[in-house]
Amino acid sequence: MSSLLAAASFDVPTIEYGQLSPMLIIFGVAVLSLLVEAFAPRGSRRPIQLVLVFAGLAAAFAAVVMIRGTQHIAAMGSVAVDGPALFMQGAILVLAFIAALVMAERQVDPLGDAFAPRASALPGSTDEIAFTRLGWLQTEVWPLFLFSVGGMLLFPASADLLTMFVALEVVSLPLYIMAGLARRRRLLSQEAALKYFVLGAFSSAFFLYGTALFYGYAGSVDLSAISDALTANAGSMWLVITATGLVSVGLLFKIGAVPFHQWTPDVYQGSPTPVTGFMAACTKIAAFGALLRIMYVALGGIRWDWRPMMYVIAALTMIVGTLFALTQTDMKRMLAYSSIAQAGFMLVGVIATNQAGLSGTMVYLVAYGIATIGAFAIVTLVRDSTGEASHLSQWAGLGRKAPIVASAFALFLLAFAGIPLTSGFTGKFAVFTAGIAGGATPVVIIGLVASAVAAFFYVRVIVLMFFNEPTSDDGVSVVVPSGFTTLAITISVALTLVIGLVPQLILDLANQAGLFIR
Amino acid sequence: MGEVYLPILVLGILGAAFAVFSVAAPSIIGPRRYNRARLDAYECGIDPTPQPIGGGRFPIKYYLTAMLFIVFDIEIVFLYPFAVAFDQLRLFGLIEMAVFIVTVLAVYAYVWRRGGLEWD
Amino acid sequence: MNPTTPQYGDLALFGHDPLWLVILKALVLFIGLVLLTLFTTWFERRVVARMQQRVGPNRAGPFGLLVPLADGIKLALKEGITPANADKVVYLLAPMIAAAAAMLVFAVIPLGPVVSIFGVSTPLQLTDFSVSTLYILAIASIGIYGIVLAGWSSGSTYSLLGGLRSSAQMVSYEIAMGLSFVAVFLYAGSMSTSQIVAGQTDWWYAVLLLPSFVIYLISMVGETNRAPFDLPEAEGELVAGFHTEYSGLRWAMFFLAEYVNMINVSAVAITLFLGGWRAPAPISTVWSGANDGWWPILWFLGKILVMLFVFVWLRGTLPRLRYDQFMRFGWKVLIPISIVWILLVSAWRGIRNEYGTDLRTTLIWLGVILFAIAAIAFLLDLRRAPEDEVVEPTYDPYAGGYPVPPLPGQEFTYTRRAPQTVPATVVETSALESTGQELEGDRNE
Repeated sequence: MSSLLAAASFDVPTIEYGQLSPMLIIFGVAVLSLLVEAFAPRGSRRPIQLVLVFAGLAAAFAAVVMIRGTQHIAAMGSVAVDGPALFMQGAILVLAFIAALVMAERQVDPLGDAFAPRASALPGSTDEIAFTRLGWLQTEVWPLFLFSVGGMLLFPASADLLTMFVALEVVSLPLYIMAGLARRRRLLSQEAALKYFVLGAFSSAFFLYGTALFYGYAGSVDLSAISDALTANAGSMWLVITATGLVSVGLLFKIGAVPFHQWTPDVYQGSPTPVTGFMAACTKIAAFGALLRIMYVALGGIRWDWRPMMYVIAALTMIVGTLFALTQTDMKRMLAYSSIAQAGFMLVGVIATNQAGLSGTMVYLVAYGIATIGAFAIVTLVRDSTGEASHLSQWAGLGRKAPIVASAFALFLLAFAGIPLTSGFTGKFAVFTAGIAGGATPVVIIGLVASAVAAFFYVRVIVLMFFNEPTSDDGVSVVVPSGFTTLAITISVALTLVIGLVPQLILDLANQAGLFIR
Repeated sequence: MGEVYLPILVLGILGAAFAVFSVAAPSIIGPRRYNRARLDAYECGIDPTPQPIGGGRFPIKYYLTAMLFIVFDIEIVFLYPFAVAFDQLRLFGLIEMAVFIVTVLAVYAYVWRRGGLEWD
Repeated sequence: MNPTTPQYGDLALFGHDPLWLVILKALVLFIGLVLLTLFTTWFERRVVARMQQRVGPNRAGPFGLLVPLADGIKLALKEGITPANADKVVYLLAPMIAAAAAMLVFAVIPLGPVVSIFGVSTPLQLTDFSVSTLYILAIASIGIYGIVLAGWSSGSTYSLLGGLRSSAQMVSYEIAMGLSFVAVFLYAGSMSTSQIVAGQTDWWYAVLLLPSFVIYLISMVGETNRAPFDLPEAEGELVAGFHTEYSGLRWAMFFLAEYVNMINVSAVAITLFLGGWRAPAPISTVWSGANDGWWPILWFLGKILVMLFVFVWLRGTLPRLRYDQFMRFGWKVLIPISIVWILLVSAWRGIRNEYGTDLRTTLIWLGVILFAIAAIAFLLDLRRAPEDEVVEPTYDPYAGGYPVPPLPGQEFTYTRRAPQTVPATVVETSALESTGQELEGDRNE
């Protein structure tokens, strides 16, 4: 009868601001950036935003470096600040920095940057033409970008399912909008945004429903409490299996694993290409971080129950991604299917459920992320009069027209294929050895076969670029970008080579990160 | 625990009975004279505007208002427990809530500057 | 009931009434509300009439007190029209929702302290629980459904517009209303109505939290669709808005709901801000027994009457707002002021909790700050004063042919009564046409 709050003499909660500082910095800068959108005059928005974004990312990365070695569950059990979380936060921040460089590019498109001058204007309308002529830029993309990055930092660090859900939404909602902002091919872009939104909302609902079932089982949404309840064998096993399935659907959707991959090609193709690179690299890290944490921390005790499901999904993802990539004629769609196949390889690390699997997946994520941002940055450079020339036939003979750009692209493709001396080999090697050590040999064999098949279509593009004659006067040329994209591609190439040549650096870093805390 | 809600049920039954009676009464005690024009929508004597099937489309302003309402209603939902437990939360609650409110204010400022609150 | 009798302000008081007492209380409350509604309609017509120097209804019964009854009988004997275009089920459901929801709010309004009814000691309040103010807001929101559904289901353009308008209006003002409660909860430390009243033993929250009270007063008028915020039923624009298609007793349900809602929001204002059933200061200081026994009902009714008078007063004096002005006021004035005020109050109380200053010091500091602000404003004004002394240019209504183009041969003259009237002159039709064309040309530019 008595009032709930009056009766309870509760402990005052505390928040470890220092340990949360990377996220706090990014979210604070995001709010500032929103205020810039509201109050700064139109002309000065872009420079202010760029300063804010790069300074914010750098400051957050510095904060991650400062708090390295922390092992603590902060914010009253909501946020786990541990080695893997900090490793992934650092990786996300570095990749977001490179992606932001590509997004800031304004020189490759004669009309402006990669984003529509007014996304709300009807495609092809006189309004849109007028806004384009005025040279307006949609600088709202920066606050959206920052909010999304903030959510990505929280996603792999969430220590309970509700925080994870909030992070999932904070990651996704800005991405839905950013997918619809492309300057060229507006209708395709809007279609991508709508598809991504509808399917994303659907998968979020799955995640939330699974969370509810976990709560019903364990009486808590804390990952460690769920783990304890499983150890104590507290209730119906079917509840846990259903909940695991539902939560996995939500996360596997974000990862782009088969059979929840259908959105990937359409969204990757329709989104502005710099955003596609950002989405492919950073969202994957965040979502894999969350998946790893749930599977290792909460569900490690019942790994024999969920492993068969993940076996099937990983195998399907590798096979479907590889086979469909073979048939693509559009460069962005091919990279999209390639990203699905890569997700399958990474899932091998999740299945391993051991320390090596965790660190291997993290290394793979970083290697893939760097190469994918670089690859999409190069896609923005190959253009004809209507925008990006993304059809494969238009890439024929690119090696003659622009040998440096084509070589860089070839390097990224080799990294995707996992050829030795590139970053991709380091990642694949780490994941597959962990998979064998974890007893997932059949999946590793499928992975090896899929890699061999995948190498075929990567090499096909290289052959197309270097050993085919360019089709005469199709108007395709490689644009000379400004310093932003040049820097982004340079960093990507350098990191890809470094990880490939001196793999010990990043392997040590990932191994030092240790395991998740409970 | 349930006893405190019983009186609401009793009052609700009384109110509902009264309302049902009043809505049903005109068909029993009122007169009934058929007139086709009277059953049309009332538009001051002119022929009624044809109604689109399904009610047609509403101006987007109403949707925008509804969404903004949700944003601020959620803010209120967070403010109420904070206000009730304010004295126990001490300075921690004050700081956290100030951060929360200032964040909402920033968003509000953005909506205002972008014309989301104009009604034309 | 309990061996240790709980003090007023303890929620353990509630939920122990025997069933017959619950039914009795509910019945009295219900009948009281209906009678009060009838009285209010008469009261409103009489007061508005006085304000307009008329007499008002004075035929049936003493002072025309039986006029509402006659109205009710008349309405009951009217035909209940259901338009051919209407969605029948929803059309009939809407007035029921509106009326039933309006009745429910009073369940948690405290009317007095613990009294003895037929030997059972019980508080003069139907029920209370820890979140009863939330309950009030929830029921008020259900009431909106009645109006929206009525507008939507009538199958008429005017009704639809009225329903849409009222939904947008009510949700907009509900935010301001909800925000104005926060400061009260902050001070009372509870959301239960009886505890909020118990918290106002020394000071009314209307005094301590004046801005909250003012915001609530404004938004409560918006919530009840009353003048000057009666846009959903603006006669000049929408015939009668959402209830255009209703007749007879079904229409009377909306009428009843509106008046009961007026009483409801007044009661909430009294409970949350005006000390609830407690006697106002001069009475309670002189007479110590004023807050015991059955007397508080008198104070409560008196306060209700004052609030109703305010409603009528507003209606009698203020013109209706334009819809965009109204929405702008809600979103751009009330909400930011409320939020900033909450920040100020919570900061003030937080500092007081931490550093423990008493009310007197608080007031002194508040006074010092206000004085400083006033002084700064005054100084700024002094500095700005010379700029204000710009000589206004002589008003010329014909300057540049705008706003009034001069008729041929017309000159600007002053008259004794109004300086800007103009002597009428006869003009040629052709001259008029040419002026008209020039004006057209101006507009096209």
